[in-house]
Amino acid sequence: MRIKTVSERNLLTISSSNPMEITIKNLYKAVKNPIRSFRIFKAFLRGLFYIIYYRIIKGNSVRIKFPFWAFYKVKIVGPGSVFIDKNCRVMKNLYQGLTIVTFSKNAKVKIGKKCSLGGLTIYCHHKIEIKDYTMTANSLVQDNLLCHIKMVKSLIKEKVLRPKPVIIGKNVWLGMLSCVLSGSIIGDYSVISIGSVCYDLKVKEYHLAIGNLVKRLLPIEHLLLLQRKNERLDCEN
Amino acid sequence: MKDWIAKIRGEYYRIKCNLFKKNIFIDKGLRIYGKFEIIGKGKVIIGKNCIISRVIGYKNCHVVLQTLNPNAIIKIGDNVSLFGARISSKFAIKISNDVLIEDSSIMDTDFHSIDKSRQTPSDENVNKCKIVIGNRVSIGARSIITKGVNIGHDSIVAPGSIIRKSVPPRSLVFGNPASFKQIPIQK
Repeated sequence: MRIKTVSERNLLTISSSNPMEITIKNLYKAVKNPIRSFRIFKAFLRGLFYIIYYRIIKGNSVRIKFPFWAFYKVKIVGPGSVFIDKNCRVMKNLYQGLTIVTFSKNAKVKIGKKCSLGGLTIYCHHKIEIKDYTMTANSLVQDNLLCHIKMVKSLIKEKVLRPKPVIIGKNVWLGMLSCVLSGSIIGDYSVISIGSVCYDLKVKEYHLAIGNLVKRLLPIEHLLLLQRKNERLDCEN
Repeated sequence: MKDWIAKIRGEYYRIKCNLFKKNIFIDKGLRIYGKFEIIGKGKVIIGKNCIISRVIGYKNCHVVLQTLNPNAIIKIGDNVSLFGARISSKFAIKISNDVLIEDSSIMDTDFHSIDKSRQTPSDENVNKCKIVIGNRVSIGARSIITKGVNIGHDSIVAPGSIIRKSVPPRSLVFGNPASFKQIPIQK
């Protein structure tokens, strides 16, 4: 519990530092590296284009708040409602940008503020919620086991294929090629490692999930303590 | 509108194959929603009322049916829908009726041996390596099916699973290596 408070303090220090200092630092960075600043400006223009484009095509169902940095392509398909809060970024990851597909009118996708979404794909039937400050690599978030439910003719489908809501907490890191499937609820500050699959699972706060079908959760607090011990031993040797 | 274009495209592809390509047999009612490729000289049979489409969101992932041998056979039954599936066969692959396959790959060879030379594997034959997928099976995205696997009727394969051993009917398959649990039919 002690270390959790430390991480919270780190977040607070970022937000509470003086706004004048931040602007001066950013200006200094922009002058020092003009190519990077040009790329960010391009991403800002692209984000503005996406906000206006989806407002014209989709109307009120898709809403993206104003500062939206799109470093790569964004694709939103389907009749459901999508809400993206301000200051989100879309990065390029394994040649993919952000794709959101909704299959019905009742589907709701909600993404919090200051998320960095690289190569994320979302297939939604019912409800998916991603909270603030999350970070994703090329990973899959699905509301159901299969995305084309209407085509399935299996006799056991009614028992298994029932959409359950997915909730991903604050400041979560999803690793590359990981899948978050129906019914999984992920707590704040936790990490999901590469190639792992979560199905119908509750991940606690500040835990690490490993394995294709995650079965055991490791507390990060313990792991950090072990790491420090090993470093100390190395230094002594 | 989209369905009509898909139907016309499917019919055009069927007539083209009947005239020029003698190794491909396609039945009526094919619908093509995206890019579609058939590579190789082996036999390819497609049944009635099939749907072929790409994965929504990506332009690169399209359906590919590949035969590596002139004796190889890919047989696809009726009412099958393929969404970005990649199937490559050296011996025989049989897909039965009412099957759904999302963005995943099916292979019946290992392509190379474990030996240092990495040449073609010597201990593979038709009886050992053929793949049979039963009626009403559905296979999720990012999953891989390897040689000699027999998937029973009505089973569902979850996304991200890698299957190496055959699976009994009416089972839910998960994980790497794949484990399954059987579910009775709901009345």
